Amino acid sequence: MRPFRFVAALCAALSMLIAVPARAAINVVTTLPDLAALTKAVGGDLVQVQSMALGSQDPHRVDAKPSLALALRNADLLISVGLDLEIGWLPNLQTGSRNPRIQVGNPGFLDASRFVRLLEVPTTKVDRSEGDVHPGGNPHYLYDPRQGAAVAQGIAERLAQLDSKNAATYRANATRFVAELDAARVGWEKRLVGLKGVPVIAFHRTTPYLADWLGFEPIAFLEPKPGIPPNPSHVAQVLVQARQRKARMVLIESYYNDREAKMVANMIPAQVVVLHGGTDFRAGETYIQHINEMVGSLEKVFTAGKGG
Amino acid sequence: MSPVSRRPRTALVVASFMLLLSAASASAQESVSPPLPDAGTEPDAGADAGSPPETPSGLTPEEMAEIEKAFGGDTQQGVPSTTSAPPTPTPGGGLPLSIPAAGGGTNLLDMSFILDIAAAAFTSKEPLQGGAHDPSRNGFNLQQLELSIGSVVDPYFRFDANLVYSQFGVEIEEAYGTTLALPASLQVRAGQFLTRFGRLNPTHPHAWDFADQPFALSRVFGGEGNRGLGVELSWLTPLPWFVELTGSLTDATGEATARSFLGASNDRVLSPLDLQATGVVKQFFPLTDDLSLMWGLSVATGPNPTGYRNRTDLYGTDVYLRFRPITEASTTLLTFQVEGFYRRRQVPRDVLTDFNGYAQAAWRFSQRWAAAARYEYGTPAKGENGQVAVDPLDPEWTKNRDRVSANVTWWPTEFSRLRLQAARDHAHWRDEADYSLFLALELVTGAHGAHAF
Repeated sequence: MRPFRFVAALCAALSMLIAVPARAAINVVTTLPDLAALTKAVGGDLVQVQSMALGSQDPHRVDAKPSLALALRNADLLISVGLDLEIGWLPNLQTGSRNPRIQVGNPGFLDASRFVRLLEVPTTKVDRSEGDVHPGGNPHYLYDPRQGAAVAQGIAERLAQLDSKNAATYRANATRFVAELDAARVGWEKRLVGLKGVPVIAFHRTTPYLADWLGFEPIAFLEPKPGIPPNPSHVAQVLVQARQRKARMVLIESYYNDREAKMVANMIPAQVVVLHGGTDFRAGETYIQHINEMVGSLEKVFTAGKGG
Repeated sequence: MSPVSRRPRTALVVASFMLLLSAASASAQESVSPPLPDAGTEPDAGADAGSPPETPSGLTPEEMAEIEKAFGGDTQQGVPSTTSAPPTPTPGGGLPLSIPAAGGGTNLLDMSFILDIAAAAFTSKEPLQGGAHDPSRNGFNLQQLELSIGSVVDPYFRFDANLVYSQFGVEIEEAYGTTLALPASLQVRAGQFLTRFGRLNPTHPHAWDFADQPFALSRVFGGEGNRGLGVELSWLTPLPWFVELTGSLTDATGEATARSFLGASNDRVLSPLDLQATGVVKQFFPLTDDLSLMWGLSVATGPNPTGYRNRTDLYGTDVYLRFRPITEASTTLLTFQVEGFYRRRQVPRDVLTDFNGYAQAAWRFSQRWAAAARYEYGTPAKGENGQVAVDPLDPEWTKNRDRVSANVTWWPTEFSRLRLQAARDHAHWRDEADYSLFLALELVTGAHGAHAF
């Protein structure tokens, strides 16, 4: 009798252990938290999502920590921003993960830039005398909720392909999410209608998609060239331009040191707007909340302007 | 009364067992159905957005078994149906070799050139610089021109090579294939490669925090670091933290690559014991978002040419601490790295042991500036009686040697670097310490290489 009981207990325990990884959920790893938030929005409970980078990190410079290779080892789907944004850290992790599903060219690898209407695609030959340029186009497209919607739909399609049993659910989720996002976008556009044509200074070339959406005009960047820190003579030129054109804002991502931006803004004078580099996915923030927060900080420029 | 209800315990056992089997098969099958072949030639064509899902759901086990019988098991799972390379209609010909266009993206041939040059000044007439790519004489030094090539070959292999050009020739530093689709988290590398012994050995000068190699490596392995033709198997264990086990068999000859083993002698390989065997355990601990710890244990064993069946054993450990704030805007990077090598050599009528190691700290205090300091230490070889013995490889090395180096590095961008380094090298068998000063320039052009941790 005893052995029977023991074997039963052992089998039950073992089956529970084995059953954990065999859950039906699709295991998705994204490079950036914005992509994680979009995946969660269309995947819901059917997906387990984790982002490799935090929203507070500069996406150009992420350490290829071995623990990230560990996360990729069990992934069914890896979603990246593409356009060489992750080129400094992702390829080694993909190889190191020893996971054939997520290698480039397999259905388990998705480059989200395929769904985006790209901006700043170089039309002439580029080299690095232009700084750290992205030859495929500007990769900071998730600041524009219209591109976010396109990416969400693309992710839903890929999930539907990988997990065809739940295809209808993914597509329905995507439709619902895009409708929600579009409704929110109309509200955001109303709130920021005053930005149309407004001249803006920015730190790094992260602005084209945001400018394309909201209609403001980035007239100069504090970085003389992408990836090269501001120097006095260049900052002086930017200051002159900003005063001539009466720039109202200096935009900077939260992962850059804002000391120079604050100084220049004081001299123009203009408002500094710090944009959160990404959704705080770890704390449960959604993509819509993230954009909403960004819209809020852009809006403050006007309310502060009215007050002063 | 049914037989089942009469024996509830048996029923429980059977039920549990069935559950176990079903769970096991579920986990073995993975929740993602394998993709079907697709005729596209684009890298992502197998997964066009909007294409209807072609994987039939709801297959019966019999149908699956039939498919597996016809197509050879599920070793193909996860292997893509399309690659960026055009299909070759006949083996060994048919299509000419197509050179991928530049800017074709990350999944074609990535090439980069790395140039390292240095101006150097030494107080000593005969500097004790052991690294093959160290600045080693007064005046200008071409440390190396490295051509680094990497590409995915097909769904099963990745290809990497590092060719090093000196002023007088070319050497194949590394040229190896890496598997991409082995099951069970296994990976094989085959070809010529740097062994994974320790932390610094598998890396290239481009990734170093100093302009020269620690003398521990040149003394134990040779000026080029430990490498050879061979094969390596590594396994990423299923443990909840990062534990990687690596074992390799490599050629044990080479004055500059395996000097503690067969070195310059050209002994014929008669059995696997005539090769160098290396085993490495690497563990990684993300202590916080900002602080990481990597710890490695390495061991290598191989024949040495001092007599019949004489062997050399090497034991090493490496610790790497990296602090880099990522929860706030910061360009700070602080690293601390220690490596130790314990060597045991059988020689005629004696066993020689010695220890070499280094410790270094590097602090990147702004986007473009960093400072680093390093302390190195090496003991003379001692025999079984504890007395200093004559070292057949370094006969002059009769006392301790220590070296202290410090440098400042300036990066105009990620692709160029200027480094000013000063060192005091105190080999106690010399009358006085030697001083040196380097100004090193590095330029990287071509594809943006990925940085290893």
